[in-house]
This record gives sequence, C-alpha cells and structure tokens, in this order.
Amino acid sequence: MSESVPLTILIADDTDSDRLILEAIVKKEGHRVVSVCDGQEAISAFIAERPDMVLLDALMPRLDGFGAARKIKELAGQELVPIIFLTSLTDTESLVHCLDAGGDDFLSKPYNRVILKAKIKSFSRMREMHNEVQIQRDQIASHNDHLMQEQTIAKQVFDNIAHTGCLDAANVNYFLSPLAVFNGDVIVAAIRPSGSMMVLLGDFTGHGLPAAIGAMPLASSFYGMVQKGFSMVDILREVNQKLKQILPIGVFCCATIVDMNFVKKKIKIWNGGLPDGYVHRAATGEVETIKSTHLPLGVLDDMSFRDDCQHIEMELGDRLYMWSDGIIESRNGSGDMFGEERLRALFDSKKQAEPVFDRILNSVHEYAEGERDDDLSLIELTMVEPAEVINTNLDYEPQRYGGLLEWALDLELKPSTFRMFDPLPLLLNILVEVPGLRSHSGNLYTILAELYSNALEHGVLGLDSSWKQTPEGFARYYDERKKRVDALEGGFVRFKLDHEVEGDGGTLNIRVTDSGPGFEHQRNINNSHKAEGYSGRGIPLIRTLCDSLRYIGVGNQVEVIFKWDADD
Amino acid sequence: MTGPVDTETLSMLKEVMEDDFSELITTFLDDAASRVGQLPSLLEQGDAKALRLCAHSLKGSSSNLGAIVFSDLCFEIESRANDNQLEEIEGYIERIEQEFLRVKSALEKLL
Amino acid sequence: MGIQSRVSDDGQELVISIQGRFDFSAHQDFRNSYEALSRQPGTYRVDMNETTYLDSSALGMLLLLRDHAGGNSAKIEIVNCSPDVKKILTISNFEQLFTIQ
Repeated sequence: MSESVPLTILIADDTDSDRLILEAIVKKEGHRVVSVCDGQEAISAFIAERPDMVLLDALMPRLDGFGAARKIKELAGQELVPIIFLTSLTDTESLVHCLDAGGDDFLSKPYNRVILKAKIKSFSRMREMHNEVQIQRDQIASHNDHLMQEQTIAKQVFDNIAHTGCLDAANVNYFLSPLAVFNGDVIVAAIRPSGSMMVLLGDFTGHGLPAAIGAMPLASSFYGMVQKGFSMVDILREVNQKLKQILPIGVFCCATIVDMNFVKKKIKIWNGGLPDGYVHRAATGEVETIKSTHLPLGVLDDMSFRDDCQHIEMELGDRLYMWSDGIIESRNGSGDMFGEERLRALFDSKKQAEPVFDRILNSVHEYAEGERDDDLSLIELTMVEPAEVINTNLDYEPQRYGGLLEWALDLELKPSTFRMFDPLPLLLNILVEVPGLRSHSGNLYTILAELYSNALEHGVLGLDSSWKQTPEGFARYYDERKKRVDALEGGFVRFKLDHEVEGDGGTLNIRVTDSGPGFEHQRNINNSHKAEGYSGRGIPLIRTLCDSLRYIGVGNQVEVIFKWDADD
Repeated sequence: MTGPVDTETLSMLKEVMEDDFSELITTFLDDAASRVGQLPSLLEQGDAKALRLCAHSLKGSSSNLGAIVFSDLCFEIESRANDNQLEEIEGYIERIEQEFLRVKSALEKLL
Repeated sequence: MGIQSRVSDDGQELVISIQGRFDFSAHQDFRNSYEALSRQPGTYRVDMNETTYLDSSALGMLLLLRDHAGGNSAKIEIVNCSPDVKKILTISNFEQLFTIQ
C-alpha cells in the first residue's frame, strides 16, 4: 500500500491493454481509479467525479488529449488538478504542445510503475501545498476585509472630530489631508466665549490608526475647555498632560496652537515641533516666521512643560499660516522634496493674482506630478473685524460661558469632620473650574490652607503657635492638636466663597469664620509680622498672594479678596 | 536476436495484474490483431495520417507488453507515414505481420 | 540601515552608531543595542556620523532610550549630526532633552 493519501485518479486511454495496465498500477498504489476511453468521456467523468489527478492519453478519437486537457483545466478553475500526459511521442514539438494544452508532466510508454508512483506522490504533495496556500490566501483576504471595515469606521469617527468647531468661519481657509486619519494630522478650532478664536494644528507621530488615537482626547479636551472659557495656556497644559499620560513613550504630537484676538488685533502662539509658521503682512508682503521653540506635546511632564508663547500683533488683512511637514516633504517623480525654500518663495511674488492659499496647494500639486500629494495639512487664518467671526457656523454651539463664573458656596465643618476630612482638595476642585482661577491654583491652595489651619488650630482648638518654635515644642503642638480635636464636642469652621465676573476677569471673595474667640487684630494692622496673635498665622505670606486681607469683628472671621484677569 | 517478448517486463506485469493478467494478454492480442489487419488497407488508401496513428498506437501498446522488436517495427512505419514516405511501408507491414505471429505465440503460452 | 553598538572597556559608556536611514525599520535593532546589556552604562552616545535621515519614529526611539536611561537623569549625547539631521532635532527642540553636537 502506498503511504500517501488515497486519491481519485482519472485515466483516459483509448488502447484497452494500456488502460488495463495503468488501472492496475494505480490501484496497486492504493488509489481509486476512474477510467475512460476518449477525450469526451474524460470531460464528463471529470465533471462527475472531480478527481485529484488525471492521466491523459495524448492521441485519442473524438476529442484528443489536448482538447480534453484544456477543458479540464478550465473546469478545475482555482484548484490545482495535475494532468499527466501518456505518450510515446518523443519529438519536442509534440511535448511542447502537451504543455501548452495544460499538461503538467509526461509519462512515456512502456509504463514504469516506479516512475508513475513517484510522479503521483510528487504531484499529490504539490496539490496539498496548493490547497494550503489557497486557504491562507482566503484567510488573508478575509482579515484584510475586516481591517478595511475598521479603518472606514475609524475614519468616520475621526472626520467627526476633525471637521467640527469653527473651521467654516469666514476668516479660515484650511486643507486637511483626506488621509489624515492615517498620517496623524488633526486640526481643531473653536471660538472662545470672549470672541477670540483658538486653533490647534497637530501632527501625531507614527502612521496608521495608532497615530489617530491621540486625536480623540486632544479634541475632547480642546473643545470642552474652550467652551468653558479656559485660556490657551490652560488648554495647552491639559492636553500635554493628557497625552503624556496616555501615549506610550516615543509617541508624541508636534503642534502649533494660536489664540487670535480680533478686538486687540493680536495673536498668542506656541509652536512645539511643527515647521515654522508664517505671518504674512498684507501691507508690505513681508513674512515673519514663528519658529518651533518647544518640545512636542506628550513628551514632558507637567512640571517641566513650558508654556511661554510668542505675542504678535496683526493688522486687518494680515494672515497666519500653519502647516504640517507634509508640504515640505512632498516629493516629485525624482524623489526630491518640495522643501522650505520653494514654500517661502511662494509668498514673495506680489504680482500673482492667485491667493496665496491656492498658490500653495496648486504648487505642491504640480510639483508632485501625480505622485501622492494629498498627504498635507495647511491652515490660513486672516485677521478680521470681530463681527465677521461671530456665529458664522450654524452647527457651532451658541456662545456662552460653560465654566463656573457667578456663584457662591457655603461650607460649614463640624467636629466630626475635622477629625477625618480635609476640605482643601474639595474646595480647590471647585475653584479650578473657574477658567480664570485654574492657573492660580497653587496660590489659592496656599491661601486656603493657611486660613483653614488658622481657623481650626488657633480659633477652634485654641493652640498657641509659639510652641512651634522648637523641635520639641513642634511635636508637642501636634500631639496636643490631635488630643484637642479628638476631644472636641462643639465648634465649627465655615467657608464662604463668592465669585463674580468683572470685565475681562473676576473676583473671588473668601471668608473663613471659626467658632473661636478671635484675637486682637485691630491694634496690629501695621505691624503684622511682629505683633502678638499674628505670629504663626502666616498673614504676611497670604498678603503677598492676594489682593487684600482683613479681619472682621472680634477676629474670628477673615476675608481675603483674590482678583484675576483674563489671560489675554 | 532477442525473443519476441521481454520476460522481465512480463513478470512485472504479472505481478501488477495478478488475476487479470490473462485478460490483459487476450485484450492486447485482440486489439493488436485488429490493428495489424488494418495496415494493408490503410496503405492502399494512401491515408498517411491514419497509418501513422495506427502504427503509433500499436507501438505503444506492444511496448507495454515487452514486444520490443514488434514495437520498433511499428515505429518504422509510424515515422515513414509521418514523412509521407509510403513506398517503403509495404515491406515493413510484411515484417510486422510475421513478428506478430511470434509475439502472439509467445504470449499465448503464458495464458 | 544598520545599527552598531559598542561598550567602552570600563563598561561606562555605550556608543550606538546608525548608518543610513534612521526610521521605523531600525526599531528592533536600536532597542536591542541597549536593552540587552547586563550592566547599565553611565552615559550613552548616539553617533549620527553616517546617518542620512531621521524621521519622527526615530525621535520616538530616542525618547525610549532616554526613558530607559533614567529619564531626566539620563546622560545622552547625540553627536556628529549632519545639517539635515540637526535641523530635524532642532525643530523638535530635542536639545532640551539631549546634548546635541
């Protein structure tokens, strides 16, 4: 018995004795035989039995081997069905004819059992391999389909992000690569409650969908915070921190962000890792460059992050251009890059009627000579009067402050709370929801912490801060503090916070009242750091951080006023 | 001079065919007799193509049975028919008929 | 593209040389050159003498090296930069994180 898998083999030979011999040999090798006498029968038998292999006599009546072979190959289609021609034709021309007709091999007469066995075995192996390859190919095709589907969905999600905001405003011209989802470019733009416009152009490292994933949190932070009135610096920090947190090391986002103020006719701009931005002066045609002076977003932690910006005045008609490196790196047929010089030169010719924006796109398109030239992102912002910018995009939400602006908060803490709750994080969490206060959170924390500890320790618990002068006294102080808090049965500390908007900024009024007896504050107003009762209350420190501080009544109530100005 | 049929070939055939060996012999002899008989009339008709095919077929089947000499004679006829040299074929037909008798006799002994 | 690395005799410095294009295809080799070391060198030198081109994934790889080498306390020098390479590093302001020559 042969060791290969039993096959079904079709034998077509018009000479009876030859056919008998072949049948016997093939059966002896353990295979199943289907035998016919001519070409026509061979085709019918092939259709009926779908054999694994065919042994075909070259010269037969009715339809000869060549005709039968062609038809069988056609019927087999994608499947590999080896055809071995049985022939004692020896001339090359005839053998070539066999191969042309679809034959894969020859077996000459007299039939040699060993040779036939070898050929069957070898073709059987080939068939198996072929089948395997087909299966793998089908798997790959199927996976590919899935991938394409996923990418289509991702692109739709991405397009929703990429094309919201105020990109349709009258003073905005932009081109975002249709393949942006795959090359990591993103443009977000929104109008702030104050009327100015904030735009961010980002270029995430990497390619494909991973590059685009960073765009989602970036866009959601951007739009959420702009709407609430947060400043460009606030938003920059938040986005940087978020990206640093979620992106793997080595993945980052080169970006330029700009805040364009139409009333004051100036821009504030920050460039981390993108090519130079241009300010094109309408009057003189001159170009000022805005260089990248920062590391890209997502690289530095919040502490190391630098948010210093450039401030540039722009007159009506002046234009700001920002682009990703796709323009500069566009290549022509010879592989040369478009380059910065060419780009810069486009701004020089005053005589051209074509607007610069179109000029840029058309030049790159021509240069690329049909090579892929849509892998670029470009945005042009024109300085206009404020009225031209308001409400131009109907899809955009109506202007309103979304942040905490006019409010008052009353929080009273009683003994059981003193023991285990620190109110400062809670209060601070609320305060940073006020757009103008977020950047002052450090100072506000210091102020509240001092006022709270004064109120609790000196006011309610009656501790004497002079104990804290010596190390032993220090330990004793805190020991005593714990004892008194645990033993406390009455008393309170009350926070009253009040915030109002004032012009371009706001005022925060903080009042802390405690249930203690107060202290002699009136006598010591001009001598604050030396006077009795003031020591240890950190008053000098607080004074440097706020606009005003005063004690009210018997001294168990303190009022601090903290003003902020819009970061414009 | 070699015998009309090659004994090694035949013993291999016997092993392969087993009980069908006799059927093979008779099948061959019947077929071959018929084809040999056709040769003269085909030559008379001057049908070179048919002559060629007939001789070719005989050549193949007889080689399978180990009738080497016979097979070679068939080849002579086949190639001359292929080149349209019909004049010489008559002589070969005679020789084939003779050789066939020897082959037949040798094979019948094995039945 | 080829990455070669050698450690100084005292094991204190690792020099990584990059030939040709420094792009994503160099990823595995670049990482292997510093991850496989049994002892952490004190300083690293990335030699760009034969580097023709640098893309953003290369910048990412440099950041990975920096992170591996201790982040803010890492001592990494990037040397022998051609003008093209230097330009790319400058636009990204990487001199704020690496010593660049």
